[in-house]
Amino acid sequence: MKIQITKPGLLSTVQDLGRHGYQHLAVPVSGAMDTLSARTANMCVGNDANDAVIEFTYGDAGFKTETGALIAASGYGARLSVGARPIPLNKPVYLPAGLNVSLNTVNQGCRTYLSVAGGWDVPEVLGSRSTFLAAGFGGFEGRKLAANDVLNNTGQLSATAKNILDELSGANICYPKWSIPQRDLPKIKTIRVIPAREFNWFNGLSITNFLTEPYSLSQKSNRMGYQLNGPLMQRLNQQELLSTAVIPGTIQVTGDGSLIMLMADCQVTGGYPRIAQVALADMPLCAQLKPGDTIYFKEISWNEAEMLYIEQEKDIQKLAASIGHKYAF
Amino acid sequence: MSTIAEQPQFTIYPISEKAVTVEFGNKISPDLLYTITAFGNLLKENPFAGMTGMVPAYCTLTVFFDALAVAKADMPGNTAIEKVSTYLDGLKQHPVQTTIRESDTITIPVCYGEDFGPDLQEVARINDLTTDEVIRLHGSVTYLVHMIGFMPGFAYLGGMPQAIMAPRKAKPRANVPAGAVGIAGLQTGIYPLLSPGGWQIIGQTPLKMFDVTITQPSLLKAGDRVRFEPINLSEFKKIAKAR
Repeated sequence: MKIQITKPGLLSTVQDLGRHGYQHLAVPVSGAMDTLSARTANMCVGNDANDAVIEFTYGDAGFKTETGALIAASGYGARLSVGARPIPLNKPVYLPAGLNVSLNTVNQGCRTYLSVAGGWDVPEVLGSRSTFLAAGFGGFEGRKLAANDVLNNTGQLSATAKNILDELSGANICYPKWSIPQRDLPKIKTIRVIPAREFNWFNGLSITNFLTEPYSLSQKSNRMGYQLNGPLMQRLNQQELLSTAVIPGTIQVTGDGSLIMLMADCQVTGGYPRIAQVALADMPLCAQLKPGDTIYFKEISWNEAEMLYIEQEKDIQKLAASIGHKYAF
Repeated sequence: MSTIAEQPQFTIYPISEKAVTVEFGNKISPDLLYTITAFGNLLKENPFAGMTGMVPAYCTLTVFFDALAVAKADMPGNTAIEKVSTYLDGLKQHPVQTTIRESDTITIPVCYGEDFGPDLQEVARINDLTTDEVIRLHGSVTYLVHMIGFMPGFAYLGGMPQAIMAPRKAKPRANVPAGAVGIAGLQTGIYPLLSPGGWQIIGQTPLKMFDVTITQPSLLKAGDRVRFEPINLSEFKKIAKAR
């Protein structure tokens, strides 16, 4: 299965679930920003959760099928269509060769994931197919996709993928009735956070503001992190913090009191005080935030956060298992 | 050889549902580096089910794990964070008899000045030294790799002589080449990859500091010892060609 990128859009990169185990050498985890949508796209075509997908940012992008292809798209940044015909999200779709598929921006979120049966075939670098743009390695030649780039699937189809392909392949666009349910993004976006190590370095008013006032994403937001506009934090002390490990979801306070939320490509260590950590279960929602979006923070405990995360993981594993079961024979 | 026999003192706090940080102190020191390295080795020899990695920093060791696997594991504690914290706390009772063999010193050849070190004269001027004196002082000590951070393979080296310290550049460069050797305040370091950077660049090494095509991609890791050795342009070219 083969496609050619006809229009790359704002930022399209190949990602899997990240490059783990090299953080001690300062290699960021990278990977799909919205891991739920990426995994949904993969499970729809019977893939492993960690297979490589293409992460599109907004729409205004497109590709052409060079061969017939079993694909799935999931996310909140675009809708797919072939001419006037919409291609549904969150289910496997067989596309015959020679079709021009366009991604059209929708306003809900910003990132959409495109899977292919077998996963996109790019070399593994340090155990992952994720693109790390700042250092120029991983993914498709270490860079964002450009017009005329050609991507193939790996050809290593799971039994589930083969059975889905058998059911859908033919001369026409074909997809099943079922789809993976996907919630709309909430209108009012409340991000659950856990107070982090330096939470008490800030005065009471700052903490109150942080947990009640709206913040919005500035234009200076990318896969490394988001700068947030909103009330500034005031320090109670001027203690220096020595660099220590940070991870995606860490909310740091910079010298002028403004907030930065670290995302998938963030550095592995940081020296800014950490006010809070985003609950892992809410990272997929954060991944869909666009510059200008308003968010609120709500405090929860580590126990609650862990429960939410484990529930979310179990749910997605159940969904994947149910597709595997449906296409077992 | 140095032996860490005493029980390390530390506090443990979560930074994520799948990572806890062990904090050993709050000052940069070689002793703390040895303690963190020893504890990291102890943990590597005695991993818990679901452990996925660790990140040493100046005063901390952060331990990563698969929260689902730990939640299921038969370990004392109610939550994954509690289980891991209890486990790490238990290692404290374990007599830390890990011996750290002082790692071999890694020698980094550097071609100083000219095109490779556009800020060498500036560093000399700031410190009222000749450029030869800066080169001699930079190569006069053995440095310790306190941590790798900032970008893949970038080593924070401790131990630079105060006599050659220099502030960061007012305007960072858009492109600092891979291998560039810089000074910022009391720190010195080597840029492993082409990147923007604000350090004063005094030279360049022909060695590949970070190579994604090999299983040990970083030439340096926390705990290593490093020395710099001046080389001339023809030696630089010879090493660069051979690598």
